[in-house]
Amino acid sequence: MAQKTVDTTKRAVPFDRANVPGPKMAKPVKAELAGKLISKAKRPLLIVGTPGADTGIPEIIKTFNSNNIPVAATGSCLKALKQADVEATYVNLHALVSYLKDPKWKGFDGNGNYDTAIFVGHTYYYASQLMSTLKNFTTIKVISIDRHYHPNAQLSFGNLNDDDFRTALKIVAAQLEQNPS
Amino acid sequence: MVLKKGRFIIEDLENVQINIGNITGAKVEEEEDKKEEAHGPTIAPGIHGLRDWDRRLLSRYEPVYSPICDLCCYCTYGKCDLTGNKEGACGINMEAHQAREAMVRTITGASAHAGHGRHLLHYLIERFGADHPIDVGPSNIKAPNTQTVLGIRPETIGDFIPVLNYVEEQITQLIATAHAGQEGSALDFDSKALHAGMLDHVGMEVSDIIQISCLGFPKSDENAAFADIGMGLIDSDKPVLLVIGHNVAAVTYIIDYVEENDLVDKIEVVGLCCTAIDMTRYNISAKIVGSMAKQLKYIRSGIPDVIVVDEQCIRGDVLKEASKLHIPVIATNDKIMYNLPDRSNDDINSIMDDLVSGSQQGVLLFDFDKIGELAPELTLKMAPIRKEKGYTALPDDEEFKRLTSSCTQCGACVINCPQGLDIDVAMTAAAGGDLTLFEILHDKCIGCGRCEEDCPKGIPVLDVIEKAAQKVIREEKGKVRIGRGQIGDPEIREEGRNLVLGTTPGIVAIVGCPNYPDGSRDIYEIAEEMLKRSYIVVTSGCSAMDIGMFKDDDGKTLYERFGGRFSKGNLLNVGSCVSNAHITATTIKVASIFAGRNIDGNYEEIADYVLCRIGAVGLAWGAFSQKALSIGTGCNRMGIPVILGPHGPKYRRAYIGNPYDPEKWNILDARDGSSHLMEPAPEHLLISAETKDEALPMLAKLCFRPGDNSLGRMIKLTHYIELSEKYLGELPDDWHVYVRSEADLPLAKKEMLLKILEQEHGWEINWKKKKIIKGPFRRPDVSFQPTNVPGLCKGVSV
Repeated sequence: MAQKTVDTTKRAVPFDRANVPGPKMAKPVKAELAGKLISKAKRPLLIVGTPGADTGIPEIIKTFNSNNIPVAATGSCLKALKQADVEATYVNLHALVSYLKDPKWKGFDGNGNYDTAIFVGHTYYYASQLMSTLKNFTTIKVISIDRHYHPNAQLSFGNLNDDDFRTALKIVAAQLEQNPS
Repeated sequence: MVLKKGRFIIEDLENVQINIGNITGAKVEEEEDKKEEAHGPTIAPGIHGLRDWDRRLLSRYEPVYSPICDLCCYCTYGKCDLTGNKEGACGINMEAHQAREAMVRTITGASAHAGHGRHLLHYLIERFGADHPIDVGPSNIKAPNTQTVLGIRPETIGDFIPVLNYVEEQITQLIATAHAGQEGSALDFDSKALHAGMLDHVGMEVSDIIQISCLGFPKSDENAAFADIGMGLIDSDKPVLLVIGHNVAAVTYIIDYVEENDLVDKIEVVGLCCTAIDMTRYNISAKIVGSMAKQLKYIRSGIPDVIVVDEQCIRGDVLKEASKLHIPVIATNDKIMYNLPDRSNDDINSIMDDLVSGSQQGVLLFDFDKIGELAPELTLKMAPIRKEKGYTALPDDEEFKRLTSSCTQCGACVINCPQGLDIDVAMTAAAGGDLTLFEILHDKCIGCGRCEEDCPKGIPVLDVIEKAAQKVIREEKGKVRIGRGQIGDPEIREEGRNLVLGTTPGIVAIVGCPNYPDGSRDIYEIAEEMLKRSYIVVTSGCSAMDIGMFKDDDGKTLYERFGGRFSKGNLLNVGSCVSNAHITATTIKVASIFAGRNIDGNYEEIADYVLCRIGAVGLAWGAFSQKALSIGTGCNRMGIPVILGPHGPKYRRAYIGNPYDPEKWNILDARDGSSHLMEPAPEHLLISAETKDEALPMLAKLCFRPGDNSLGRMIKLTHYIELSEKYLGELPDDWHVYVRSEADLPLAKKEMLLKILEQEHGWEINWKKKKIIKGPFRRPDVSFQPTNVPGLCKGVSV
């Protein structure tokens, strides 16, 4: 059956209306391209927030596991991720961005810091504010595949309804399956 | 006899009173005598006085900046785009600009409290005299922050004059550094922010001590009375006088007038925010509506007949909103004047006539005697007029149906809601007759009204929410133990040892504003969990109010279930915002009373002691204001870590430790100055958490200290592990770093944990004796004297 498609570049305006950081804002990205870029990253890290524990999302996150992309469980999503058999490591998001900007951090596996941070399932304003640390003080590529447009990412989905969001995640997962790292 | 500034009366000389202004000779002599006594190296430190201490903190807890805006709009060179840490036209880069932004906010917060303190001091000296004695309860250390920062031991309220002079001078010097072309280093901006935070605790201390001493507030009273709280407890059939703000001075005159004129049963005097807390400390007959999040909601209800405002955290649109409902506003403090006419010199009857007729929507009134009489009398006059007209912003049933049905589900309200609440979904449900979603949303709504600003249909969304939640609001009835003030010396004597040894697992201070990420119930649940685990929970301000809004199955609030003494498993409401100084003061008292440290002008040594020994942690779960930032930053300089809610990164900087970097976690042994690697304890100084479930284990973790002994370590580890398992679903991955010997392991899990240490961390275990042979990077040593300050080590010259 053909994969249902969705345009994730529509409504690419900050979800919180006043959250306009400056001249550099995320480029809207299609789900297919996001998936390809993630699959090609050398040291990607998927960062999941508490709303990422919502029904159905952990199942999609499992694809990242099978593609050897480590999963950081921030906030309090770890319990739900584990119940869905997702392999993930708990870390506080604020601490994580501090580690990500530190060249001395060796990552969760001891093999070095990450070059791509992928955000999904976050409290909007919290993730947005902490993405600004990565945007301004690191060279890490930030890709948001979350439900709402994140101006502080480098690439981001636009604002999606729940159905389109889940479809978009499935498209990203399909790309990972087609392009295993 | 030493003459002091103040007022005295000569015996047998009737009607003779001598007022003495500034004395130079005698006063100077007295001060010199005091200086002769042993004191620390930093009496009244200037901006750079504690820079070395700040740098020790900031080298371990590196500032992490999170810009809320990538531009600098500070001078006419700009706007400058600083994205990617670029430099602007003046040469400042993004990092330094963010540090400056955070510093300015910290100074703003400190100024608000110091300005409040100065206003109170002027007033109280005028009313009670500069020689009015300080009385905070059973304590020899009456003003711990003042003593530690300035080396002054105040005995009278007049003794606080030089204290506030110092705070104000330092604030002026600090804000000067924010000017373009001054400081260029992020780290030095942060040191200055820490300085402002420390000053804030001095300013707050002055404010609360003088009002406790003069206005008859509870004095270290563990059995302070319970006050009523909640919109559901207010008898709206009576005339209602609402006061909002933080500075209780004018309100005391209203309460006195109400009592003296037998109006207590005829009028409801109710309060919002910290003025409410402080008026219940003054007179228990007053009632608390709730935290500042209720301001707009309560005004829109139309229940208040008159509003009196003083200062801080008062909405900018109070006058506009009140005017719509014909509620006169009396502004009593020059911090907030709303462009109102100053009627201080006018006759009360003429002011009353103008307000009753509506020819003036409000007045500015600085004469407290007039305020005391006008506000209640005006309330009595306004109530029948307003009731007859039925003023309220809330829609009736028919209008409610029309409004909810007119919603087009465009989502503009959701996009403009700071919490991103699903208002559109609740609106649809309500249009169909289901109010459940709005009832839930009501507690999560912070009452800001931004939802209404963008609605293309002009729906008064907040009014719709409040109308839908009327059933819930009627049930909002709670109890708060009124602010007790300081922790008394005898309580510290009893509890200090448990805290330092860790057998009381820690002090959790739940403070700050109501910008909660998921409603006010979170802090009630956090407090309950930590109380059941024998932590001492200290609270103040809006958090103290919200904790009292929830009850258990037996209908009891946490204040009714847990005692108010400074002892494990007790819940202490210290008071209003300015009472937060008593939290840092408590740690200072432990250093002094339990450990015998000299606190006079000895800030660095005391803060180092707190950082190494006292498991205290702050939680500002709904922090929104600049004051909350300055309070937290002051705690940080004193060595107390603070956790913020998920809105916290909007303050733009945090102080976060990197546990994987061993270079950061060296500590000295004061016995010989030798350097030792220690566990990351406390791991962070200022950090945020996303959810309540994440914050709970973090609170337990941030109570670890290098000085914990085995019993304390075992107790703290038990809670850290249990809370992680309960709320995050697994053992924390770093629990083992806090283990120095098998005696540190929780008894119930000892065998299992030893196995993990052996199998996953490669530690060597003697299974016969169940002892750890090899593994921890630090072995237990009961004589270990941890310090971060080389000058405190024997044989180390600095």
